[in-house]
Amino acid sequence: MKGALLILKKEFLELSKDRRTLFFTFVMPLILYPLMFGMIGGLGSNDAAARAAKPSRICLEDPSRVLGAALASDSGHFQIVPRPEGDLRQAILNQKLELFLEVDPAGAEKLARNETLSLRAVYDNSDESSKLALDRLQGQLKQQETRWVQARLKSLGASPELAVPARLETVAAGDMGRFMGKLIGSFLPYLLMIMMYAGAMQHGIYATAGEKERGTLLSLLSTSLPRTQIILGKLLYIFSIGILSALVNLLSMAFSVGRLMASGGASGAQAQDAATGLAALATPHVLGLTFLLMVPLGLFFANFILLGGIQARNTLEASTALTPGIFVVVLLGVFSMAPGIEKMVFLPYVPVLNVSLAIRKLFSQQANAGEYLVALTMTVGLAGVMTWISTRMLNRESALFKV
Amino acid sequence: MIELTDLYKSFVVKDKKARAKRRIEAVRGISLTVQPGEIYGLLGPNGAGKSTTLRMIAGLMRPDHGRIEICGVDTQTRPEQARALVGYLSTDISVYHRFTPRELLKLFGEFQGVEARVAERRGMHLLDQLGLADFVDVRMEGFSGGQKQKVSIARALLHDPRAVIFDEPTTGLDVLTAKTVLDLLRVMKAEGRSVVVSTHVMPMVEAICDRVGIIFDGVLHGDAPPREILARWGVATLDEVFFKLAAGEGGGA
Repeated sequence: MKGALLILKKEFLELSKDRRTLFFTFVMPLILYPLMFGMIGGLGSNDAAARAAKPSRICLEDPSRVLGAALASDSGHFQIVPRPEGDLRQAILNQKLELFLEVDPAGAEKLARNETLSLRAVYDNSDESSKLALDRLQGQLKQQETRWVQARLKSLGASPELAVPARLETVAAGDMGRFMGKLIGSFLPYLLMIMMYAGAMQHGIYATAGEKERGTLLSLLSTSLPRTQIILGKLLYIFSIGILSALVNLLSMAFSVGRLMASGGASGAQAQDAATGLAALATPHVLGLTFLLMVPLGLFFANFILLGGIQARNTLEASTALTPGIFVVVLLGVFSMAPGIEKMVFLPYVPVLNVSLAIRKLFSQQANAGEYLVALTMTVGLAGVMTWISTRMLNRESALFKV
Repeated sequence: MIELTDLYKSFVVKDKKARAKRRIEAVRGISLTVQPGEIYGLLGPNGAGKSTTLRMIAGLMRPDHGRIEICGVDTQTRPEQARALVGYLSTDISVYHRFTPRELLKLFGEFQGVEARVAERRGMHLLDQLGLADFVDVRMEGFSGGQKQKVSIARALLHDPRAVIFDEPTTGLDVLTAKTVLDLLRVMKAEGRSVVVSTHVMPMVEAICDRVGIIFDGVLHGDAPPREILARWGVATLDEVFFKLAAGEGGGA
């Protein structure tokens, strides 16, 4: 193993000499995610806050004055504006107002006769402000409806409580930690897979096909280091870069999401709950078991990259051969994010996907020891077989001296 | 000492015209011995089988048939031990350009199992001999072809190998750098190493080689001192031997 560690040292030394690559591999994610999430969060929360603070501009046509007073009195939510010139729909699309409400002209008489009042609202379903105006109107109307029904019941000598025959009280059995766990568990395997593969790919190509292309591989092979040690060293390097890359990206992302929530992406109480939930999830036990699954999966990907890199004549060929692998990983990842896949009975026996499932269950506090062990054993076996194939391939002259 | 006995090596190549795979016999029955303190010149046109033979001696390729021994160590049964006895320089002038010569030699010293202190001393001595003493701590990115070749030579000789295999060591080098390389080969010879050099440069062969072998179509012709080869073929230069072989005249074998 000493030879493999020497090769690993050589690869990392080479990497350490390239500041630009180091920056893009390890520093860029630390800057990029906080910047990206900060911008998205900032823009999103500013926009939402601005919308919430402004009353919705509503044009009201209510000749019998059944709703006008109620809406006008809620000046925090509604601003009654005059009917604009020209086409009303176009005025809404041009954001001159958020909503147009037309009330039946005989509304007052109908209400008096205990008949149904008809209303027609025109809004822009592609615009958040317009949708907010509709929500506000529906809220206001619901309150008004209850008042009308209660008044009707009273006039009939019945109890106003008849208007509310049942009142539902909901109690959430799961805590915020469980909710966050399910959420994170659904996309974490996807992120891990993408980051491990994509993060290691270019480094793997540089260390394999790149060495061939630059003509340095022969000097390495002519040393007294056994070839198996050379391939194991390169494998260790690709694997380490994949894991490091995934960890750096995840840490940066977790930090950014945390900051986003703390800075008002969610309401104060929600953010507090989510933070508590996240803290409850990130136990050494869950993180350790997740990492344990990442090791053979990373090794599997590293072997795949190594094989593609060594078989290729040059870096371009290696890159062309390995890039479709990203799409395969994305596909697997997207599948692993799909809701309800945890119910598929065969999934614990499908390689790679069973790792997604196990991580998902770990984070949603539904871990199954049997399924976890199956996933771990299968992935370890798969990584072992791939390592065996890789070492055999490197020993083949047709792969090493392909020109 | 380097001993080659009845070596054969073939490759399968894709023949695009015939749309089929074809087996090419790159080396056919080569046997030769290089004594300690001897420089052996391996000559031949491109594709004759020189590099394949040298790669087999260096333990990079396995022969299909035959035996190679470096100082009595079989390259097939004990490949790592055999490679530890060989200093190999390939035709590609290439180095790990992100390193300085000192860093590269330190690393290769570790690969070859040379003690760090010894590797440092020997590496610096070699770089000094090759005229690179002022560049030991400069990154090799901006090095010329000649400078890179010198570093590669130092790398190949760092572990004090008993057998030295240089594949076209002066190709692409200017006259001064080529002379430095030739001088170093003479030093290797004086130190009692077995040296095999492949080249196209005939004056170099006549200047430094004790014996030469001409490979043509994978078969070794000659295997004698340069003057004897010329006498056998009845020609004045080694170039003429090439022409005769190309014309199918195998009289000197």
